Amino acid sequence: METSKITAAEAISIILGIFVAYTLVALPRSMLETTKTATLINLIYVGVIALFITFLIYKLLIKFPGNDIVDIAEYLGGKTLKTFIGIVFIFYFLFSSSILLRNFCECLKIVYYPMTSLVFIILTFIITICITLRHRFSSIAKVNLLIIPLVIISIMFLFIANIKNFSLDNIFPIFGDGVFNTFVTGLGNLGSFGGITLLYFLPPYLKEPQKMKKVYLTSVILGIVYFLLCVSIILFMFISLMYTNQIMPLYSAARYIEFGNFFQRLESIFLLIWILQMICYLSIVTKLSISIFKKITNIRDEKPLILVFGLLIFAISLLPKNYAISKFIEDYIYHYMVIIISIFLGISLLILAYFKKRKKKELNANVEKSI
Amino acid sequence: MLKNLSRKIFIVILIILLLLAFSKSYATLNIDNLSVIVAMGIDISDKNHLQISFQFTNPSSVSESGTSEQAPSIIYSVDASSISSGINLINTYIGKSVNLSHCKVIAFSEEIASQGISDEIYTLINDTQIRPSTNIVISKTSARYYLEHSKPLFENLITKYYEVFSASGSYTGFTANATIGDFFNSLICQSCEPFAILGGVTNSSTESTGATNSENDTTTKSNASSLFGQSTAENTGLAVFKEDVLVGELNSIETLCFSIMRNQVDGFLISVPNPNKANSYIDLHVTPLTSPKVTVDILNGTPYIRVNCRFTGRIYSMEDNADYLNNDMLNQISNSCNSYLESILTDYMYKTSKALNSDINGFGKTARGNFLTLNDFYDYHWSEKYKDSFFEVSIDSSIRSSSLLTES
Repeated sequence: METSKITAAEAISIILGIFVAYTLVALPRSMLETTKTATLINLIYVGVIALFITFLIYKLLIKFPGNDIVDIAEYLGGKTLKTFIGIVFIFYFLFSSSILLRNFCECLKIVYYPMTSLVFIILTFIITICITLRHRFSSIAKVNLLIIPLVIISIMFLFIANIKNFSLDNIFPIFGDGVFNTFVTGLGNLGSFGGITLLYFLPPYLKEPQKMKKVYLTSVILGIVYFLLCVSIILFMFISLMYTNQIMPLYSAARYIEFGNFFQRLESIFLLIWILQMICYLSIVTKLSISIFKKITNIRDEKPLILVFGLLIFAISLLPKNYAISKFIEDYIYHYMVIIISIFLGISLLILAYFKKRKKKELNANVEKSI
Repeated sequence: MLKNLSRKIFIVILIILLLLAFSKSYATLNIDNLSVIVAMGIDISDKNHLQISFQFTNPSSVSESGTSEQAPSIIYSVDASSISSGINLINTYIGKSVNLSHCKVIAFSEEIASQGISDEIYTLINDTQIRPSTNIVISKTSARYYLEHSKPLFENLITKYYEVFSASGSYTGFTANATIGDFFNSLICQSCEPFAILGGVTNSSTESTGATNSENDTTTKSNASSLFGQSTAENTGLAVFKEDVLVGELNSIETLCFSIMRNQVDGFLISVPNPNKANSYIDLHVTPLTSPKVTVDILNGTPYIRVNCRFTGRIYSMEDNADYLNNDMLNQISNSCNSYLESILTDYMYKTSKALNSDINGFGKTARGNFLTLNDFYDYHWSEKYKDSFFEVSIDSSIRSSSLLTES
């Protein structure tokens, strides 16, 4: 178990990895679609709320040191609730990652492999993650820590290299579709913070639990900054994206990078880095799903499960009949899943468990007093 | 033992499967199976179909011909109902798959541009092979004729010519870098309008006929220039669109104004009236100091657009008895430069507003700052109100000195 512990930096990179993975396909554009020119304001507003939620989750989790949400569910409602919560989160992880994989592979097919069947492109990722999953969680986290800086640098480079194409006037009108849309309907953009889900599962893995607050807040702040960077690129470059839909908006932005006549067509390098990040994301999410499954079924050896979970992701990713369906799931259903499962269900469970613990404590105190 | 063997067999089968699966895409994108298009021309055929011309380059002839001879380019045209059908037909004819990833120029004839080219632009931008940096040219002649005469005079490779042909805009301002990416974004955008390079073919007579439509050398444009000699394609001026329809043209000095407003020009030469000699001009090399500062106010429902530009410059021409070390003299020339630039920029802006009603400068983007919500902006109908705009241009130029000679 000791070797599966991860450092603070690795934990931050894991949470950030979830934020990053969704921006590579369509997230900046779907945010822009919701709040139009007010997306940057909305993102700061939603980011503050996400930060508050993170702080709340931290405050509730430290009441149960070293436990993840499945353990807490067991404490609250016994084995039944533990199994239910475990299945809900396994479903959430597998479903969201499969749909993201499907959409990413659809984009890869359009851009680079027009004649290759989608099945084989997805299969390549599945094989890769099945091999990766044979390693410990800490090893995957270490690789993720190597890849994440590359992705961040690539996005920063994308921002800097495209500054000449920016039109800062694109942030006007400042309230986009209106104040109500920006601050009320725009709350839907909270669904972009899918990385928050991981906060419930990291406590048992942290090498230095005392740094939990720092890890959680830093990763969400970095996530907000990263989102601001991505949305700025898209908003300042493509005002047209409010009215049209393009696959992989960040990839489209990368196509505009040119330094004279020599340095052109750099988007392939970006895509290579992003593919590596996608593999890291899938590996982390699947590893967590397996560990939840192990916990609710008391299975000791996880190796036979790797292939099963790999095949499950493969099968779910092939479920949508076409890109329209998988895109709809990613743009809308995923957001609702994050809000309902990660935020409402997770926090409600933690609050109830906290009250139970407090009540128990009070009862114990009363018993002690009466004795 | 058996488990290991079966695992190895499984891995081998998997590798073979993946190799077979990805080899199809590799074969499609293999250079041996591709014919590289360097430019594309789109005309209207007699049957009211599209006539699509493809300009190919022969890579093998480039290596065989060495560096002294020009690599030949081949042009094929096909009548088709759409660009995709045209590509399909040409694929069948040449027996190779057409690849557009090196297409540097897409030329539309003036005729088709006047009818609207949004379908073609949407189709082209939807193609993964087309680069957003591909230049859009509106040809005064047929697009095929323009491509036939697009010959590199000083390079061996046609691709290199297309790569650099719009670069002169950065030091003359007489042409602009108009890409399909910008065209598409402007087409969708509700606060700006698209533009394209104005192309044409130089008069092939050996002497100047003088039969140009221009008043002087700053009002030339493609197909109406004072150039003569070898018959080649020229790219002077700009084609202005309202939505996807060609509505007018800008001559060279107006294109310079456009380039100043878009901050696309690094430096340029202009002739300003000599403050000390009537009917005489001084040539200045002017460099923008900052990008133009634009403010748009809505006064009584009408756009009031103020533009402030700052320039520095040097005197490029020299004459007898010139005293360019005299501070007063330099101030007078600076004032003359200010008046001249104010005049041409104001004329240019009123032309885009009153005559063309096309906001190619993107003032609408700045105007959006006056509105709190997008609905307020849409209700204002910027594209219709732009023709009622008023402009105020202020120029602050500082002519520093002459060049090597300061007094004569």
